[in-house]
Amino acid sequence: MNIFDIIGPVMVGPSSSHTAGAVRIGYISRKLMGEPVSKAQINLYGSFLATGKGHGTRKALVAGLLGMNTDDMRIPDSFEIAKEQGMEVHFGEARLKDAHPNTAQLILTGQSGRQLEVIGQSIGGARINIAQIDGIDTNFSGDYPTLVVHNLDQPGHVAEVTSMLSHKGVNIATMQLYRSNRGGEAVMVLECDQEIPEDGIRWLEKVEGVKKVTYLSIE
Amino acid sequence: MAGYHSVKDILTICSDEKLPIWKVIMEEDCIERQVVQSESFAGMRAMYTAMKQADKSYDSRLRSASGLAGGDGEKLHIYNMSDKKLCSDFTSLAMEKAVKMGESNACMRRIVAAPTAGSCGVIPAVFIAYEESFNVPEDRIVEAMFITAGIGAVIAENASIAGASGGCQAEIGSASAMAAAGLAYLAGGDNDCIVNAMAMALKNMLGLACDPVCGLVEVPCIKRNSAGAVNAIASAQMALAGIRSAIDPDEVIDTMRRIGNAMPAGLKETSEGGLAQTPSALKIKEKLEEI
Ligand code: SF4
Repeated sequence: MNIFDIIGPVMVGPSSSHTAGAVRIGYISRKLMGEPVSKAQINLYGSFLATGKGHGTRKALVAGLLGMNTDDMRIPDSFEIAKEQGMEVHFGEARLKDAHPNTAQLILTGQSGRQLEVIGQSIGGARINIAQIDGIDTNFSGDYPTLVVHNLDQPGHVAEVTSMLSHKGVNIATMQLYRSNRGGEAVMVLECDQEIPEDGIRWLEKVEGVKKVTYLSIE
Repeated sequence: MAGYHSVKDILTICSDEKLPIWKVIMEEDCIERQVVQSESFAGMRAMYTAMKQADKSYDSRLRSASGLAGGDGEKLHIYNMSDKKLCSDFTSLAMEKAVKMGESNACMRRIVAAPTAGSCGVIPAVFIAYEESFNVPEDRIVEAMFITAGIGAVIAENASIAGASGGCQAEIGSASAMAAAGLAYLAGGDNDCIVNAMAMALKNMLGLACDPVCGLVEVPCIKRNSAGAVNAIASAQMALAGIRSAIDPDEVIDTMRRIGNAMPAGLKETSEGGLAQTPSALKIKEKLEEI
């Protein structure tokens, strides 16, 4: 924590966890999508579901999905703005077991038809954790440029990704590996110190065995 | 994490390097975030500027989504303009600004979390009211903001600044202690005075429960901001008068941690206890569920 975590952030109220954190979940999901969202099914869980209305949690999530950050004065008007921009939004209850009390599940369709499902948790202050992407557990904050690679669980994919990064001069800050089952689908989550150049991402997308590449740029 | 971990650490660095507290905090920020002093200072000024903008943009017509919050700052303003007010101009203004900021937050306006959104009114209320009442250069206030932030960082490290883990003593209490330290500095107090103002302010808030009605940052949060501001002023004034805390400042912070741990979950933001479970609160809850 630095002193600007103590005095700050500048944010639209009323709650750092239920408003600012919710904006961040939407915002990071929009970035992970990499293109404007045309349809969003937003399912809420726990305290997000119970007290979210009074905190503007729903408006905050939609604002984030529209690309607004936590200090954007338009957050209270996000529903109208979503309508204007042709983003279809539906709300529901998330059926999760023993999840974090401030959890949102976003099932998104992008303008090109790209699909993405994100489970985000607001973990205190305005900080968040992305706990699941497309049904596979993850664990990252969205504070760093983050690369998420879905691939078949076969030898060699980790080496391909890391050598691409070293070739591009990108330093890895943290790295996590997950898989659904042996020989099934695996996910790599890499938080990096630098942004990954676009051509590196495009190259990865074409590698055999790689099913999906999602990149979070913080620029 | 910064190179200081306690109030005592800050004071030791001050005397070793012959620097005022605010400079020690700023230099530590430069090391931690790898920035130069002018950037650090500009960053803190930006926070103060955002606080002033939030203060100015208060709109008495706004109501929160629940309909519970809004318009009270204006009532205080009108009363403060009358010749019947009980406190000095400065203290009255601080009370008013604290309530206004709390209301702005509840009404989804832009505020600065200090240290949290629920307690966002205390620090700006004291500092902006001081600047307006005593005509000090803005740079001095920014210096006081560094002291405030440094004290907050020590509290966050050794206790908590979240109602969910420490109760409201950790939010309004911390904000009040942080503001008291900054105010003691602004009014000319030395380092000993500054840390004692902080210690007394925090002591006065120990044990405060976090019991928001319907889980919303409205009742009792908004009005508690004015209590936090007035308590900061009272504590700074006691310290400036030469009164000292019998309990060491770091021990007060540690006490807040222990009390926070001893508090039942029902008093830590769950709305399962305290004011949130009164018949009045339950009636409000019923009404809100109909909306
Ligand atoms: S009662 Fe709880 S939510 Fe309200 S200001 Fe205090 S700590 Fe924050």
